[in-house]
Amino acid sequence: MDNVRVLVLSAAGVYAFMALVMGVIPGTILSKTPPTPGLVPLDAAAARGRDVYVGEGCSYCHTQQVRPLAQDRVWGRPSRGGDYAFSTPQLLGSERTGPDLSNIGVRQPSDVWQSIHLYEPRALVHGSIMPAYPWMFVAKDHAAPDDVVVSVPPEYAPPGKVIVATHEEQDLVAYLKSLKQPPLPSRAPSP
Amino acid sequence: MSTATVGRLSSRERFDEASVAEDVAIFSAFTISATLWLLITTAIGLLLSFKFTYPDLATNPFLSFGRLRAIHTNGTFYGWASLALTGLAFYIAARSSGIHLRQKRLAWAALWSYNIAAVLGGITLDLGISNGSQEYREWVWWVAAFFLLAVVLSGVVVVATVMARREREIYIANWYTIGGFIFTTILGVTAAIPIYQYGLGQVAVQGFYMHNAVGMWFTFLALGVTYYSLPKLLNRPIYSYALGVLGFWTNLVFYPVIGAHHYEFSPLPWWFQTLAIVFSVGMLVPVWAGTGNFWLTMRGRWATVRRSYALPFFFVGVLYYFVGSTQGTVEAFRSLQAIWHLTNFTVGHSHLTMYGFITFIAWGGIYGLLPMATGKRPPLLLVGLHFWLAFLGVTIYVLVLSVAGTVQGITWANGDPFIASVEAAAPYWSGRAVSGTMMLLAHVIFAYNVWRMTLAPTPTATSSSPMSLAAESAHE
Repeated sequence: MDNVRVLVLSAAGVYAFMALVMGVIPGTILSKTPPTPGLVPLDAAAARGRDVYVGEGCSYCHTQQVRPLAQDRVWGRPSRGGDYAFSTPQLLGSERTGPDLSNIGVRQPSDVWQSIHLYEPRALVHGSIMPAYPWMFVAKDHAAPDDVVVSVPPEYAPPGKVIVATHEEQDLVAYLKSLKQPPLPSRAPSP
Repeated sequence: MSTATVGRLSSRERFDEASVAEDVAIFSAFTISATLWLLITTAIGLLLSFKFTYPDLATNPFLSFGRLRAIHTNGTFYGWASLALTGLAFYIAARSSGIHLRQKRLAWAALWSYNIAAVLGGITLDLGISNGSQEYREWVWWVAAFFLLAVVLSGVVVVATVMARREREIYIANWYTIGGFIFTTILGVTAAIPIYQYGLGQVAVQGFYMHNAVGMWFTFLALGVTYYSLPKLLNRPIYSYALGVLGFWTNLVFYPVIGAHHYEFSPLPWWFQTLAIVFSVGMLVPVWAGTGNFWLTMRGRWATVRRSYALPFFFVGVLYYFVGSTQGTVEAFRSLQAIWHLTNFTVGHSHLTMYGFITFIAWGGIYGLLPMATGKRPPLLLVGLHFWLAFLGVTIYVLVLSVAGTVQGITWANGDPFIASVEAAAPYWSGRAVSGTMMLLAHVIFAYNVWRMTLAPTPTATSSSPMSLAAESAHE
């Protein structure tokens, strides 16, 4: 090959075609996947909470994809394309250092549990290596009337203080509680 | 070239001398800033590895795992490896064309643009501003735009230089580097446009993007560097030009199809995943064509390889290109993904390829070509120490994480409580912190060696053996 223009144009042409066929067209078609029946869009608090989830990089350790494999049954039913209809940016994740969260709103619906766990995971789960998120809370001497107080076990809280959830933390918990897989019609075969 | 001879040169030659000196300055500047990113982002990686063993270490929003992980990956990719390989691609374009670099102002602008992207990317991610935890495209669009601008500018520099070449043929190394700049420009635009990426559609695009960001950018640049450096350092032609051309076109056609193997067992269409697995087997063609070509070029010259500063790095780079890419093919089979998918095995694989392959090739290129450019050599003892710390470090790293991923996958398949997978992997995570420490130490030594090859005041006599100097500079 002795013509740079030919090399540049042919390489660019082939790759542009591949990007169209393997990226743009599948993306366009699959973006139109209709929502799973029963899937509800996030409310305002949960949508803000999802932004916190994205910004903190939760999905580097927590997947949101249940595979059609026996070992994944514990996380819920196998995920369907329509489960992600309201999920942009997508948060399927690539590593499962912590549990899958596709159905965490069903598996762990308690605000109190989620908040204590975010403040210090090891207060609730022995052996957990999840990071603690104390900056999503405020330690106060006395709670104000409209404060959301989190009942952190005393050995994990600063002495003489009450732990109050920030709005950011409440939004994040609202998002986690919203993660519920809509049940499939009963005739759908279970793999 | 020594400045003492300048007085006897014609004005045209003096111009060329200044021009070549600027080429050396560009090559040096790219290498130095790449090295700074390597130090920063792998120090962050090491901190992250300690957090697996000490989860309450450095509990602070700006030092938290979820924010720093993306800074580690994007910083090593787009700060370290991209800058290092682009600097090498410039030097190679000029030298293989028998001329000095064209469009030097664009080269300097690219240097700035790469660095602005990496700085802004680090700051935004640390503030929790991200494009959604989608691996290797976490930077928000206006940060990614600086990176893309740098890629376009660099591509223009390389193409303009190769177009002005003295030889008739375009040397195969330049095919690969030019390809890398073109493909990455197209890929970056494809990934950045949001209007067709929602929900599951974005998952499909992400699979395409994340694999191509590695395969169409770093692989192509690293192969280009190898195609130039191996013949240069061994002073013998590449074994087969035709295998290089075969590798180029098969890489180009197979790589874009295999992205969906990152989402096996996901709701992406089953046939789409199967297609990706089939083409993952097809990837053996370019990988074995490339590695076979490199080994046959090195064949019978192992004594030269051993004595060289740079060739041991190329040897490991080619070896781990072969091992890592072949592993990638095997790993794509569903029977194995059922165990290894979503485990630490993936992290081991990504370090085998991005570190064992890409980073070792970048080091080989820098140790092989930078001293030729600047006339300054690093101490051979420290190059050897860098090599062994990095080689043993990454080898241990990959082994322990491969075992960690396997035990994670087995505890899941056994139906054990989830925490059992955390406890089973814990000892291997400690092993990863140890090997990561070795790797960071290697990078500190490398940084010193880069200083010796560039900014250090005088080209001092070093402890290196005259044999290796002769072997490397005989053809200069």
